[in-house]
Amino acid sequence: MSQLILFNVFNGLIVGAFYALMALGLSLILNLSGVINFAHGGFLALGAYIAYTLLPFTGFWGALVIAPVLTAVIGLIIERLLIRPLYGRDPLYSLLLTFGMAYVLEDVTRAIWGAQSVPFQVPGVLTSPLSTQFFFLTGYRIFMVVLVAAAVLGLFFILNRTRLGMRIRAGTLDLETVSTLGVNVRILRNLNFGLGIYLAGLAGVLAAGLLGLEPTIGTSLIMPSFVAIIVGGLGSLPGTLLGGLLIGVASGITTVYFPSATEAVIYVMMGIVLLVRPRGLLGEEGRVG
Amino acid sequence: MSLLQVRNVSKHFGRLIAVNGVSLDVQPGELRAVIGPNGAGKTTFFNLVSGFFPPTSGSIVFDGVDITRLSEHKRVEMGMARTFQITEIFPELSARENIRVAVEVASGARLKPWLLHAAKQRVAARVDQLLEMGGIAEMGDRLVGELSHGDQRATEIMMSLALNPRLLLLDEPTAGMGDQETYHVTKLIRRLHRDQHLSIVLIEHDMRVIFHLADRIMVLAEGAVLAEGTPDEIAANERVQAAYLGKAA
Amino acid sequence: MSAIRETTVPGVPANPAATLREHGLTLGVWLALLTMPYWMGAVGGYTELASRVVIMGLAAMALNFLLGFTGVLSFGHAAYFGLGAYGTAMTIKYLAPSTPLGLLVGIAAATVAAMVIGFLIRKLRGVYFAMVTIAFGQVFYFITFRWNNVTGGDDGLTGWRRQPLHLGFANVDLLASDKVFYYFALAVFAGCVAVMAFILRSPFGRTLIAVRENERRARFLGIPVEQHIWLSFVISGLFASIAGGLYGLLSNFVDPRALRWDMSGNFVIMAVLGGMRSFWGPLIGAAIFVVLQDFVSSRTENWMSFVGVFFMLVVLFFPRGVMGILKRRSGK
Repeated sequence: MSQLILFNVFNGLIVGAFYALMALGLSLILNLSGVINFAHGGFLALGAYIAYTLLPFTGFWGALVIAPVLTAVIGLIIERLLIRPLYGRDPLYSLLLTFGMAYVLEDVTRAIWGAQSVPFQVPGVLTSPLSTQFFFLTGYRIFMVVLVAAAVLGLFFILNRTRLGMRIRAGTLDLETVSTLGVNVRILRNLNFGLGIYLAGLAGVLAAGLLGLEPTIGTSLIMPSFVAIIVGGLGSLPGTLLGGLLIGVASGITTVYFPSATEAVIYVMMGIVLLVRPRGLLGEEGRVG
Repeated sequence: MSLLQVRNVSKHFGRLIAVNGVSLDVQPGELRAVIGPNGAGKTTFFNLVSGFFPPTSGSIVFDGVDITRLSEHKRVEMGMARTFQITEIFPELSARENIRVAVEVASGARLKPWLLHAAKQRVAARVDQLLEMGGIAEMGDRLVGELSHGDQRATEIMMSLALNPRLLLLDEPTAGMGDQETYHVTKLIRRLHRDQHLSIVLIEHDMRVIFHLADRIMVLAEGAVLAEGTPDEIAANERVQAAYLGKAA
Repeated sequence: MSAIRETTVPGVPANPAATLREHGLTLGVWLALLTMPYWMGAVGGYTELASRVVIMGLAAMALNFLLGFTGVLSFGHAAYFGLGAYGTAMTIKYLAPSTPLGLLVGIAAATVAAMVIGFLIRKLRGVYFAMVTIAFGQVFYFITFRWNNVTGGDDGLTGWRRQPLHLGFANVDLLASDKVFYYFALAVFAGCVAVMAFILRSPFGRTLIAVRENERRARFLGIPVEQHIWLSFVISGLFASIAGGLYGLLSNFVDPRALRWDMSGNFVIMAVLGGMRSFWGPLIGAAIFVVLQDFVSSRTENWMSFVGVFFMLVVLFFPRGVMGILKRRSGK
């Protein structure tokens, strides 16, 4: 029994790491630009499919490096052309735009790569279990956790130690002041968006290795990302990270006792958080609107 | 008995102390001015009194009732109304409609699905009366967002008046106005004070307005009370002069 | 150039010309609606499509009660639409073969949901509010999916049909023809729309518009804003659920897509396309959207891309919507 719980908690942590990775990208974009990127799942899928296309040429590792970057570049272009015109306006419009983008991305990936799921080859070295006692500790799962941790550390490094990162953080608090200090806010938003999409693309590649690849891979992950942000705290990246891990673990544990409620539990958590602490666990006051 | 008793309120934003132990006593029918250099905490003080946010410490008593933690809309119900430094009105409605909402809410109709004919007429009459009083009757049907700054301000004051307040808080009512508009608004405020016997607390920078209207003046600097007294006393106060001249540099 | 622009409050025009225009529009809309089954065919449509226009129009107008008139960004209205649909369908299938009862249960279920959710999110605003409404929308989608022995899951709920109406003086067989159902749906639509218009013209309705215009000022006029937003949210969900019930009755079928995020998004785009600040705007937006979607989906597999691009074009180039553009033109 305890091995079962352990298995599910670990599984939950992995899933939670995913949610967190995706939610962090969403949160970055939301906090700085006030845009709910509903197409985030679409970018995740796009990243996965680009990696899939690169596999025969670059192998898994090459795809892992290149695909998220390519996805981010597409994100940069889209931000520049489609999202930038909407910044001054009611947030309604940018949400509708990303809604539309989500439709298009899903349809385009389906058109290019087909509606069926496709095999996504992961290097054999990663798929073997590391011990017979803890059979669920396959190399791939460990690798994923490690990679997500590395990505998160990298993100926090960028945000705290580089100029771009500091500008992003300052801009999240007060974009107007940042602008008067001479920072080009348009480029800042653009790069921030690219960074968020990079994380989505990376999550896509990792997800494909774990879950297999089909066109709706992104849509099943986007809702938990929303919940992760709401639970973890609006405006707080550590909160988003925490939120993602929490809901992942929560659904992992729920699987043991109430298997049919696995997905429901994250929404229950969301409801409780909203009731008790509307701004989220680590959310900042005054961010709720 | 005092209408408003503010006892030693402070407001901290993290380590920033915006308001530091300020007390104020307003008698019924008084017109008080609050002055001070920029950043002295005047608007924050108003925010505390009107319920925009709660004080970190201290208490506020209105008409004998402790309202320190009361929500802003309940304070309005108790008879407190306020205007803002940047005029807060309903830009895509006409001045008439702006005031109409205020009158309807004040008469307890905010949840009503309809008004009986008699009530409708009363509302309309009151709206007309207020438009007249504010000098905005002619442009009453134009979108208030298109009116001049002075007319917008008058609309806002009339909306506040529609609430039948006993205490009116005016935050820099003549801000950004030229001489002509300042004169009109000052006249309006004076009329409200004299004819309606309203208690008014006024934040202002324009000294002519202050000395023309105020019974007593409170001077704030860096969140604390620097001086308090009649206009003459304040004019003669050296510390007040220093605070203003010092900051003006 | 200092033209007296007409105000945007329904029933409160600023000048006689605007009153005439408003009445003219209302008259025109009703004429078109009353005769739609007869001219729909001529423009390449069919009666069932007309019913869909009316039903989606109702849903979009219900959403706009909250979005356009209270200024609240709700992106999860498919939840109430879908609850109305499933409530109606499940009642007829499992409880009693009665159309009115089905609709009532659907309305009740959705209204309770709206009351609870509205209460939970009453302190949020802007994008965060929108996010949470999306998330809650998905909750119901996912429940319907999972609970498949009752709801039919992904395959939808079949094995039920709209029941005849027993009106006392007559029995109306709603299955008799598409036309009969259309006029039934139109009658329900008329009732709902009349109530919505009535509310918007009331003192309460004016407080909602005040909240939209300037929440801070509304608060400082003594309006308990959270309470009023909650009420608007519930009213909006209620009418959306009626549209959902009709939607289920239209096809004698309901599936989880009625609750999905894209359905919510469709309602919003209809409201924006037609003009959020106009009472009839969402209906016009719904008409355009429903007809376009029907046209495109019958001709290509990639209709999703078309819809997506359409969303983007509306947002980038047409944000005021049809009524917004018309109003602007006539204001000059």
